[in-house]
Amino acid sequence: MTRQQRRARRESVNAAAASEAQASETVFLVLRRMRAPLIVLITIFAVSVLGLTLIPGVDGQGRPFRMGFFDAFYVMSYTATTIGFGEIPYPFTYNQRMWVTISIYLTVIGWAYAIGSLLALLQDRSFRSARALQRFRRTVDRLAEPFVLIAGYGRAGEVLGHALDALGRRFVVLDVDPDRVDAVDLDAFHADVPGLAADAREPGRLAIAGLGHPRCEAVVALTDDEEVNLSVVMTANLLQPDVQVIARATSRAMAERMAAFGSPGVINPFDRFGDHLRLALRSPAAYQLMSWLESGPGAALPERTRPPRQGRWVVCGYGRLGREITADLRAEGLEVTVVEPHPGASEEPDLVVGDGVEPEVLARTRLADAVGFVAGTDNDTTNLSLVAAARRVNGSLFVAARQNRPASAPLFAAMDIDALLVPTEVIAHEVYAQVATPLLWRFLRELQGQDDDWAAGIVDRLLDLCGHRLQALWKVRLTPEEAPALSRWLGSGEARLGDLLRDPETREDPLHAVALLVLRNGEAFLAPDDDFVLSAGDEVLLAGRPSARRALSTVLFVDSALEYVVSGRRVPESWIWRKLSRTPAEEPVSTTRS
Amino acid sequence: MNLEKVVFGFFVVLAATLNFGFFIGDIDNPDLHNPYELFAAVVVNLIATVLKFGDRTQIGAVHLATSLVADLQLIAASLFYGYAIYVSSAGLTASWTASVVSLSAGALLANVVSVVLLVVETVSFHRG
Repeated sequence: MTRQQRRARRESVNAAAASEAQASETVFLVLRRMRAPLIVLITIFAVSVLGLTLIPGVDGQGRPFRMGFFDAFYVMSYTATTIGFGEIPYPFTYNQRMWVTISIYLTVIGWAYAIGSLLALLQDRSFRSARALQRFRRTVDRLAEPFVLIAGYGRAGEVLGHALDALGRRFVVLDVDPDRVDAVDLDAFHADVPGLAADAREPGRLAIAGLGHPRCEAVVALTDDEEVNLSVVMTANLLQPDVQVIARATSRAMAERMAAFGSPGVINPFDRFGDHLRLALRSPAAYQLMSWLESGPGAALPERTRPPRQGRWVVCGYGRLGREITADLRAEGLEVTVVEPHPGASEEPDLVVGDGVEPEVLARTRLADAVGFVAGTDNDTTNLSLVAAARRVNGSLFVAARQNRPASAPLFAAMDIDALLVPTEVIAHEVYAQVATPLLWRFLRELQGQDDDWAAGIVDRLLDLCGHRLQALWKVRLTPEEAPALSRWLGSGEARLGDLLRDPETREDPLHAVALLVLRNGEAFLAPDDDFVLSAGDEVLLAGRPSARRALSTVLFVDSALEYVVSGRRVPESWIWRKLSRTPAEEPVSTTRS
Repeated sequence: MNLEKVVFGFFVVLAATLNFGFFIGDIDNPDLHNPYELFAAVVVNLIATVLKFGDRTQIGAVHLATSLVADLQLIAASLFYGYAIYVSSAGLTASWTASVVSLSAGALLANVVSVVLLVVETVSFHRG
């Protein structure tokens, strides 16, 4: 199949998705439901009016008189609406009064039926969901900023949503559970977050939620059901191949199946936790820096954990997490003893069969001479009691535990665990790092190859500038569009980073910002120092205070501010003032306009 | 057989026939145009219009449009009729009658289009 054929097919699929979106237009629903009541009402009116014109009456002089259609319609109009003007144009005969009495009751029944149906319709579930859908579609269509589509708004989605919101990014939520979507409305976000209760497996629903919207830049599948995540990856890849896709998967098989569709970012929390543990073993400061940056703006500096690098570890629970951790620890050259009630057919060098909560089983693991302990079962109560039992045997153990339910958080906090794994948070932080900006993701990957002292240095610099809470994290692209004042200065070959990061009011003060990474033609320079020479087209990732961000953007856009921070000279901004003060005998070094 | 289609077809054709019955006859002779027939035409047309509510097919939309046109013309005809009889001092003159009947003729045209659409729909349904 050629590319064009494929595109044509994709467009037809999109059209199908769009027409499904229209299928529940509220107006049509109202019209359809109101057909019967309206017809009943028309019929009742018609019969009453016709009766009045046919029934003989008498006029003021006692002559026979028949009402015309206009009179009859007039009388019925005020009778039916229960206004009741009286008997017009002449007092009625008994014949007519009988008919009008019947008409009154008939029309009241008609109105009651029509109004009742309308009210019932407004209360109707399908009608309300149709209205919610329509409103949702309209809000998504109107989104003018880039946004992220989050399918599955569980704990991970919530954490991710808050981190994105703190970064000033927009997102749209899709979840099967209406309660979680209501929670989106109740939550305090800076921007309006559209949410829809719908099954993410349906391509039509994804289309309504913004897949196919030109501003949709990433789709994140975080539902509990991995099949659903797979189908989101599939849909996004087939309908919108250019959109970035990130999905949660907890098994390797599922990750493989997802990888068949484009190249989605697949996040396996257990795998990631194993990697984190390895990083923490090798370089505690790098791990600390990574988890701080991944937590998003406003996060407090996490404690620096120092897992023991020598000795024997005991891993309780040999499930998906246990296997990953055991493999990672062994790869680091550590001994591992595994405790598992149902070991299956696996051949483990050091395996204790039994339930870890039983004292004699735990005793067989020789905890007294172990250095680390992992409570990794999928039951929070078991994990907590394992930790307590292990600590009683050996108080100096390094303890890692897995927390499955958000509600258990206070208990784990009270236990003071050395390394806590919350799968949903691992996922949320990973997704955040990938979606926030490609530079942050790049920085975090490069970070893992660095040594501990380097990472500790960066942490100290960040602490100096921002304090214990991470402030803003932003990206600057040194292009003529995004930094118009800089073009000439960048070309001079003396554009040092340290000169740029100065306060445009008093240049002796450095800005409260650190450049974490400079990306030039795909090559990354980690934490460049003040003498680093910038060139046009560089992308710079900065961390610091929001005020520094504003000050820096002044320097990027205003020629005279740049001139001042670079050379210390105050250059008049306007042409007239320059003529009057006659300052520049020679050309200013950095102005683009002469 | 589909009961909905029967009811719908019934009302569309009845609207057209009643409209035609009112319209037929010398255009300026009030004796040849029965007001009851005009009334019946208005009522049946309104019901036919409501029956087309909520139909989202292309042909349903055109049905609704033609019915609305017919309603508009027939209601205008009734208003003219009522004005001539109750408000105008001259009563139902030949020129007033002509106006009323010509308006109903316009409605008739819309109703004929409706019937044609109905026939087209039926025929294409059998082919498909």
